[in-house]
Amino acid sequence: MVEILEKIYSMTAIGNFVEHPQYIIMILLAFVLLYLGIKKEYEPLLLVPIAFGVLIANFPGGGMGVYAALDTTIDGVLYHNAITFPDGSLWCDANGIPYNIYEVGLPLIAHDLGIINYLYYALIKSGLLPPIIFMGVGALTDFGPMLRNLKLAIFGAGAQFGIFAVLLVASQFFEMEEAGSLAIIGGADGPTAIFTTLKLAPHMLGPIAIAAYSYMALVPVIIPLVVKLTCSEKDLKINMREQDKLFPNKQEFKNMRVLKILFPIAVTTIVAIIVPDAVALVGMLMFGNLLKEIGSNTSRLFNAASNGIMNAATIFLGLCVGATMTVDAFLNLKTIGIVAGGFLAFGFSIFGGILLVKIMNRFSKKKINPLIGATGLSAVPMASRVANEIALKYDPRNHVLNYCMSSNVAGVIGSAVAAGILIKFLG
Amino acid sequence: MEKLFDSLQLMVIGLTTVFSVLLLVIYLGKGLIALVNKFAPEEEKPKAVANNVSASNVVDPNVAQAINMAISQLTAGKSQATKIERI
Repeated sequence: MVEILEKIYSMTAIGNFVEHPQYIIMILLAFVLLYLGIKKEYEPLLLVPIAFGVLIANFPGGGMGVYAALDTTIDGVLYHNAITFPDGSLWCDANGIPYNIYEVGLPLIAHDLGIINYLYYALIKSGLLPPIIFMGVGALTDFGPMLRNLKLAIFGAGAQFGIFAVLLVASQFFEMEEAGSLAIIGGADGPTAIFTTLKLAPHMLGPIAIAAYSYMALVPVIIPLVVKLTCSEKDLKINMREQDKLFPNKQEFKNMRVLKILFPIAVTTIVAIIVPDAVALVGMLMFGNLLKEIGSNTSRLFNAASNGIMNAATIFLGLCVGATMTVDAFLNLKTIGIVAGGFLAFGFSIFGGILLVKIMNRFSKKKINPLIGATGLSAVPMASRVANEIALKYDPRNHVLNYCMSSNVAGVIGSAVAAGILIKFLG
Repeated sequence: MEKLFDSLQLMVIGLTTVFSVLLLVIYLGKGLIALVNKFAPEEEKPKAVANNVSASNVVDPNVAQAINMAISQLTAGKSQATKIERI
């Protein structure tokens, strides 16, 4: 009887929980993230799959956690991209030689390491899904507001300041590749953060993705906080429509439809020439947008890009990213650094955009509301909506949404370019 | 110290490149606007008769129903649209 009970006990995960209580912390963390996603509606489309990925990855014996591929030295011999199991043993072939995970077939990965590793190495580690999601984002993006207020697009560059400011600080505590991955959180773009981290520091993917999406969900809190600290009431009352009446925009648009079709093609070409490493993101973003703008002739492709493909990609991305957050990968000091650094990157980026507006206002007769600088982040369209609400609080007639969308959409391009630069120099 | 120098250098390169790319995008946009205005202006549509204009302002009943359902769902049934007009 005791023997049967012992067998039942060893079959369950209870024994492992008793031996390694840190798994319980991860499961509680998954519950908290699920609560934030479901109840608080913090980016539920991504946070729910990520949180569930964290949950299923942290049941000992479940085999649903992603194993990180790291270079390992044994008896002075260096083995590239070897997989180490939680008990310290290596994933080896019949001769006892550790596998290089990039030299084995996917069926073997599925057989030996489980389906979540199969999905992770096929879809995520290959860098496939972030650009696919960017295609969907492009299909859902309207560059019209940016084309109507082209000059405001420059604030999409000012708001990348946080990325490089945090890189400067983080480089003192992290390896350069890790610092680059942490800094890209300041771009406020989930797929960009994941894509960059996969290229630079894949072992930090889980915490960085969680930090990036959590801070994006906290845009309605972070933007008002930074704005309150850096802007006066007078600044926030600058009415853009009145400024437009005082200093009218002489640009006229005789065919917006053709313009919107040409724009993604031209931007892809320019970015590809200057920052080739950003083409995977910017190119796919613009391709998705082109499908939308062509109209009925490509409407089936547009529907696929913005619905079916994007939704499927989001599910797999979320689950796999969550599954990278195992005890070893998450419960360490670096995670605290990522959480703190990510917040700083976000804050500095908002500040960078505001600062650029203030500098330009000093030299220009036409004043710009600093909220338009604050929305130079990628978080489209949430950042613009939040900025609009702040402006309306100070002046109920001051609708800045369309102006903010210009810098906001430019921020998507800006952060993708910044990611390309980090990958080029640190990758 | 070397890392600090490297990241400072990367900051200068990075911000310069991002600004340059977006400036190029701005001027590219302006160039495209000028080109499209010159070579592909939209053909002017014949002026609509007053009756047609008012008819085009009428929103399809299915669309109106969908809008009402969306408002109802978002506001938990507390609000509804009283007038829907195409602008």
